Amino acid sequence: MESSFFALRSLILLLPLIFFMAVMVGISIFVRHKQAGKNFVSSYFVGNRELGGLVLAMTTVATYSSVSSFVGGPGMAFQVGFGWIYMAVVQVTAIFLVLGIYGKRVALLARKLNAVTVVDIIRARFQSDFLAAVAAFVIVLFFCGTMTAQFVGGAKLFAAVTGYSYEAGLILFGLTVVIYTSIGGFRAVALTDTCCAIMMMVGIVLLLHYVLKAGGGFENIMTTLETNNPELFEPFSFGNMPWTIYFTQWLLVGICTIALPQSVVRGISYKNTQGLHQAMLIGTIVVGFMNIGINFTGILAHGVLTGTAADYGGVDNVIPTTIVQAMPIELVGLAIIGPLAASISTISGLLIVASSAIIKDVYLHWAEKNNHTVTPTRIKFLSMTATAIIGAAVFVIALTPPNLIWLINMFAFGGLETAFFWTLLLGLFWKRANKLGAMLSMTGGTIIYCATQAAGFKIFNLHQITIGITCSLILFLIGSYIGKKSDDATLKIFFPSD
Amino acid sequence: MKKNNRASLSDAQKFSLVRREAIYTGLALVGLIIFWLAAGFGTSSLDVKIFHLPLWAVLGSVGVWLVAILISALLSKKLFTDMDLGGEDNGK
Repeated sequence: MESSFFALRSLILLLPLIFFMAVMVGISIFVRHKQAGKNFVSSYFVGNRELGGLVLAMTTVATYSSVSSFVGGPGMAFQVGFGWIYMAVVQVTAIFLVLGIYGKRVALLARKLNAVTVVDIIRARFQSDFLAAVAAFVIVLFFCGTMTAQFVGGAKLFAAVTGYSYEAGLILFGLTVVIYTSIGGFRAVALTDTCCAIMMMVGIVLLLHYVLKAGGGFENIMTTLETNNPELFEPFSFGNMPWTIYFTQWLLVGICTIALPQSVVRGISYKNTQGLHQAMLIGTIVVGFMNIGINFTGILAHGVLTGTAADYGGVDNVIPTTIVQAMPIELVGLAIIGPLAASISTISGLLIVASSAIIKDVYLHWAEKNNHTVTPTRIKFLSMTATAIIGAAVFVIALTPPNLIWLINMFAFGGLETAFFWTLLLGLFWKRANKLGAMLSMTGGTIIYCATQAAGFKIFNLHQITIGITCSLILFLIGSYIGKKSDDATLKIFFPSD
Repeated sequence: MKKNNRASLSDAQKFSLVRREAIYTGLALVGLIIFWLAAGFGTSSLDVKIFHLPLWAVLGSVGVWLVAILISALLSKKLFTDMDLGGEDNGK
């Protein structure tokens, strides 16, 4: 009797998730079929520049929103209160900034240069294969860190909510994301991201509804919180939210995110400017809804969980425990699709860019330079294989999860921003920017950032991104003023004048 | 201000417009940061509540979000220009 109940419970929990994953794989097979006969490199790595406004918005948001936005973030909101939402809301800038600053410029340049990756544009701007190779290396290195964090976060959530093992979760959603990304490429990633973003919003609404219900209603929860947890209503949370966190977050998840290669590459992928304009608006609406919605739910979880975050095993367990305690069993499977969708959409977005860095930016460029003919069939085989191998490698790392995985995630985020922020911003908008400046900035800034992270060195207790981004700017300016100017032909492409 | 649709711009004109749009976006960011500071920290000393929530929390979260939506709408519908992305030098 007990075993049949357990089997039924398992089926109820897993069915929605299995169905969702099957839809993801189905989409990628459909996309591969539809893209047959088109230029493989362009279709596989940027979806033939055919994305419309809605899909562009959703894929940018979904890639940007990771599993930590759905698990660690609201767990912290549970602990520190409205200050956390006030800090997290800076992310509403992420979509309109990246699309507004780079969207059209990158799209115009990509069409002129026939570029399909951000590294293609960097190579053309600074006329340097070495810099392009460094950029590709930095992308693959830091993306692997971020992807590992997503795999681990998603699998831990799955295990905590369903009662299945960590490995089972990893196999179910981890292998699925590697398979559908390998098969369908960027177009499939964009479409599945759209489904993921919708499921994230559905998950938030469902959870919010049941948390309010379980807590006896909004008024009841808030009245109890005001009495028992006054620190939640103060912006500095009685010292738990120092100004340094606000300042750092503006850089880490706000302003500097415009330089993330996985976001900038979306500028190459859309069809027309109408779509871009739509995406700026839709993306801002969606990213704000998600951020405020899930973090507010984290605070309201006090109506369900009466102890502190530590009583439930830390902030990462607040949302999984709330899901289990507040939601009816038949909806739990549906509810965890949201956070898992955040995880797989980030993985797929990074996986395809990492694969393009190896195949397009390194291998195909090397082949072209050395007059090696690469047949379309071979390109297709290598591209899909590279995607699968990178995904499989990260999957294997995640099987034995390293400690401090969330720190690795933030470390990777800061590393990418340090490496690419000034190289892209000044490279695309400042004529004087040159090869030496970009090289010093990318290599020197990244090394300094990694060294300060390794040494635990901080200034005013600020995250090391502040040191990395400052040093990379100084190095960029020094290199640009003492190095040779870019040649006229390059400047004519990047800064045309009548 | 009326939104323009300019399909026959030269490359130089397109890049100039795009540069101007990037500056608008940067200015919008500065405006949003100022609003964020004023809405949250600026009102945190006021003992005012809306739906059981402190005023600073409402303005600093939903308020900032709504202003960001307004900014995105202003940028995309009024200040940004539709253009052909093909490029006149394409393929040359």
